[in-house]
Amino acid sequence: MSGTGADIRKDPREACDVNAEANAGGIADAAALRLHDYELSGNGYKVRLLLSMLGLEAERIDVDFYPGAEHRQDAFLALNPLGQLPVLEHGDLVLRDSKAILVYLAGRYDAGGAWWPVQDAVRTALTVQWLAFADELTASAGQARLVEGFFHDGDVIALRARAHDRLRILERHLWFAERAGRSWLVPGDRPTLADIACFAHVALSEEGGVMREDYPATRRWCDRVGRLPGFVPMPGVFPPGPGPAECVESVEPDGS
Amino acid sequence: MIGLERARRRWYPIAASTDLVARHVFHARLLGRELALWRADDGFANAWENRCLHRGVRLTIGINDGAELVCRYHGWRYANRTAECTYIPAHPADAPARTVCNTRYPLIERHGLLWCAETAGPSVTLPDIPDGFTLAMRPIPVAAPLAAVREALSELGPVHDGEPLPETIGEVLYLLQPADAARTVIRGLLRSRANRTTDQKADQTTDLAALLEHDERLERLRRRVETDPARRDDPVELQVAAPRVSAALAMPEARGEARAAPLRLAVAALERTADGTVLEVDLVPMPETTADEAPLPAAVPGAHIDLHLPNGLVRQYSLANAPGQTDRYRIGVLRKPDSTGGSSWLHERLRIGDVLAASVPRNGFALRRDATDTLLIAGGIGITALASMAMTLQRGGHAWRLCYLARSADRFALMDRLGPLGDKVEYLAGLTVQATQVAIARHLGAHRDARHVYLCGPTGLIDAGRKLAADLGWPDEAVHFEHFGNPAALDTAGGFQVQLARSGLSLRVPDGQTLLHALREHGVPMPSSCEQGACGTCRVTVLDGEPDHRDVCLNRAERARGDCLMSCVSRARSPSLTLDL
Repeated sequence: MSGTGADIRKDPREACDVNAEANAGGIADAAALRLHDYELSGNGYKVRLLLSMLGLEAERIDVDFYPGAEHRQDAFLALNPLGQLPVLEHGDLVLRDSKAILVYLAGRYDAGGAWWPVQDAVRTALTVQWLAFADELTASAGQARLVEGFFHDGDVIALRARAHDRLRILERHLWFAERAGRSWLVPGDRPTLADIACFAHVALSEEGGVMREDYPATRRWCDRVGRLPGFVPMPGVFPPGPGPAECVESVEPDGS
Repeated sequence: MIGLERARRRWYPIAASTDLVARHVFHARLLGRELALWRADDGFANAWENRCLHRGVRLTIGINDGAELVCRYHGWRYANRTAECTYIPAHPADAPARTVCNTRYPLIERHGLLWCAETAGPSVTLPDIPDGFTLAMRPIPVAAPLAAVREALSELGPVHDGEPLPETIGEVLYLLQPADAARTVIRGLLRSRANRTTDQKADQTTDLAALLEHDERLERLRRRVETDPARRDDPVELQVAAPRVSAALAMPEARGEARAAPLRLAVAALERTADGTVLEVDLVPMPETTADEAPLPAAVPGAHIDLHLPNGLVRQYSLANAPGQTDRYRIGVLRKPDSTGGSSWLHERLRIGDVLAASVPRNGFALRRDATDTLLIAGGIGITALASMAMTLQRGGHAWRLCYLARSADRFALMDRLGPLGDKVEYLAGLTVQATQVAIARHLGAHRDARHVYLCGPTGLIDAGRKLAADLGWPDEAVHFEHFGNPAALDTAGGFQVQLARSGLSLRVPDGQTLLHALREHGVPMPSSCEQGACGTCRVTVLDGEPDHRDVCLNRAERARGDCLMSCVSRARSPSLTLDL
């Protein structure tokens, strides 16, 4: 898992935002995507999900988050002074924050603009609103998971209560969306980055002791996300099995 | 709240009908008990204990494949309606014992809600809700005991909690689901405006507005109740009796009465092949019991049942059931020119509505689902068992092929089941013996690891198939076969001594009597089915002594090991046998 320290030991000047912004426009398509990630990272999972759904390959540089705490060591801090995973490198561009990485990948590689609907101001705004909500989930359910699974400090009872407050909001939204015939967080036929960003820490919530029993519409939405083409699981996330439309034509004759 | 014992005998809403979407497993809770709710593709809604019988993992993280619920952990599969375990991947060669069955709870769908009662007796009735209340509100879980929620809620509208409803009800009716001692779910029904006016869209908008308004009201109520400083400490969580994990899990199937026929099946459909030689029969539970109340015991692929015919004969028929299908059994009956009264009776006398007695399905011809490639070779009516296997393999996404040989093209049966399987089935009609062997050899090819072949048909076909497979390097354990019957006549000459290791009995099987009947005479309850050494139901483990195998269901390796025998036909080469009974 570790042993890749050399890869992330980068000249800090290259990682400087100013430099990156200056060069971002000119990144060749041939430049490799390099994702600094940790297998069990919920925010890293968001990026892995989108990469897979867009059919993109990225070089994975494993950062030993636990127990090595490589994300707090100089080499990684040079890349992301916040010490947070994941980080995407593309040519000279160094991007931290999963939301920024999602927006970059969708904006650059999703020609149809389905994941990041910039043509539509309302849908873009709603996508951003739910991207921010995903951070609320990271700070509550995700944090509870770090306490339970990775021995971080924190008041797990309070974190769980906070997570349930957030999940109640999500549930109400999704329940009424279902009633209106909508499948995704942002109105429209196709899912957006909002669904990917919110999915990760919802699907992992039980590892932090946050049960999803009280959120039936959210559980159904998780099934829908899990059935999207290109979906990949991670440890702790269970894909739902084929949906009714995907299964081969039923081999059961009509009983009547 | 009423006493817990009374509460357990009462119907409570635990989900909305719309919650159980296709291929989903819904997580519910009632009186502290977790339930896994799932709807199969046939529309049936199941309410089961939310734990796999194997390691107790929640079934709500399992997979609803439309006909079976699959545990996420080790892949145990449970059948729609009956909750019987149909397959254990770690024991691919064995059919699970019939005792491996999850706990089901009664579920009724009404008023757009699913109602569950832990122990529903006949005297327990659903609440009498007036018509028109069809709009289910969003459920609001509240972290408070039912009594506290009811008290707060009664200010908003009538609350139904078992007591009779008031004469007149306005637009809303609240129902309470006691999820646990300090967890209550508020479910409400609104009078729907749908179809009340001619403007459908306006009605829907009105409905939605009403739902949103009540939803906000209940959310406020939830916050108030959960933060009420006057509330005393919440009661401790309810303790539910976990269902006993059967000790029989690793044990052989419970030994019932000899040739017991507990099922009563009515003929629901009759079809004949073009040439009239094969009769396809659909058997359903007795008309008095609806399929919902009395599903049939699940049949694993390859299983057969005993049919007890009114003329006193008992005959075995393989089931051509689709995976997880428990509303009916499909059998195929070949009319035999030399019929001794079984097939001719069914062909000539059977009518729709007739009732026959039958055994539960038994399996001596289990299908492995861990093969890299499965070849099915059916001769004639041998297609029934293999059609069931083919449908199972297709549904599971396994690699498989079926070669179906028949005397003529108008004899191909079960086409409604085989048709949807497309070109994975090769139909070969009217081949000569040599051409049949060429076709089988072509399908078999050289053996590769984890390839398995299943043969079912006339003795000649099975013998030819086994010989070709052996010549092509297939090991015995990869070649599975099931005969219709034993061509050899029953021979009971010569007596021998038998020791029963578990029960400590010692008995003599006299000249002229079978081992099976001698065991029964001494009070050892033995299951049996075909009683000619073909089906494997009466198999017994041999601990000591040398059996004289007279059956047609063991392969060479199993015979050579000498560690089991078919008690209905086999005898002893050594003066004495010690059996694991």
